[in-house]
Amino acid sequence: MQSVHLIPVRDFCVYHQVEITFVDTLVDTGLIETTVVNDTVYVAPTQLTQLEKLVRLHRDLHIHVTDLDVVASLLDRMESLQDQLLSLQNRLRFYER
Amino acid sequence: MDFIDYYSVLGVPKTASDDEIKKAYRKLARKLHPDLNPNDQEAHKKFQQLNEANEVLSDPDKRKKYDQYGKDWQHAEQFEQARSQQRQQRQTYTQGGSDDYDFSGGFGGADFSDFFSSMFGQEAGGRGRQTQFRGQDFQAELHLNLRDAYTTHKQTLTVNGKNIRITVPAGIENGQKIKLAGYGAPGLNGGPAGDLYITFVIADDSRFRRLGNDLYVDETIDLYTAVLGGERIVDTFDGKVKLTVKPETQTGTKVRLKGKGFPVYKQDGAFGDLYITWQVTLPTNLSDEQKDLFRQLSTL
Repeated sequence: MQSVHLIPVRDFCVYHQVEITFVDTLVDTGLIETTVVNDTVYVAPTQLTQLEKLVRLHRDLHIHVTDLDVVASLLDRMESLQDQLLSLQNRLRFYER
Repeated sequence: MDFIDYYSVLGVPKTASDDEIKKAYRKLARKLHPDLNPNDQEAHKKFQQLNEANEVLSDPDKRKKYDQYGKDWQHAEQFEQARSQQRQQRQTYTQGGSDDYDFSGGFGGADFSDFFSSMFGQEAGGRGRQTQFRGQDFQAELHLNLRDAYTTHKQTLTVNGKNIRITVPAGIENGQKIKLAGYGAPGLNGGPAGDLYITFVIADDSRFRRLGNDLYVDETIDLYTAVLGGERIVDTFDGKVKLTVKPETQTGTKVRLKGKGFPVYKQDGAFGDLYITWQVTLPTNLSDEQKDLFRQLSTL
């Protein structure tokens, strides 16, 4: 069985100097997922990139935590449109030859 | 080392108040933040300059020094050196003498310009909690030919003098980016390192054309094979394949070879199809006898 190294949310908050309620709100809005083991809340390493990105957006741009889901959703849409654009550019390249 | 006008970076006059500086920083940060411009290297650079400008102009001491020396910041260095020498002398002669400078170190200047480091490098982090900045993302391009992209293979990249060995999965697309987290510039003041983005640039192949996971190739057959049918050996990325050409094959006829196309990205054993388009070539330099035979054919 493969073991997963989980990061305590408290440690993450201390390191990044954010309130635990910040992470709670992100969990409530479905932006990240946490796991509870023996009453301690953990975050999986796979969630770290997303979580750190949200911390940066919150701290650098002063985006309120409750507005982060809108920003994250728009960024997802932008990424998806960029993928579509790339795919269409490659199709165009095929027909232009 | 070029002089950087931090006021013009923020788009504010020299008389700008702290509030105006803060507002200008926030407005531009929203526009240029690396997380909002993941594939824009220019925006990343500008954001770095913006942070520098904000770091200096939002701190009264740094702003004062910047305003004092401005374009003549080299003199600031000389001035600081002279002061440093004076301090060293004072320390030599005065036991327990206090120092009004706090050279805390730890400010590597990793993500700031040479200009910033030379002016504020050693003392920038002296007071209070420092702002942590994520390191700059690096962008790199990896050029492959179509055959390289057909197989999973290892490649070594040199990014900023560091060799990085990566596995390129078969089926990667032209223009596709992969991210190597933490391989960018080191973070500032304990901030996380940036990421390395590698964009794959796949050159066109002289024979095969790729559309998604399918490959297309034109194969020529002579008129007699097209009319009467026959066999043809065709090259694929997977080796040679013997194909039967049906009698009365028209030019432009497509044949699909299932599973002989391009590997599907990160799906082991899955392949697209190979489409072969027959191009019929007409005979040239016909002899009189051949021409006669064609005439006879045309009247039959």
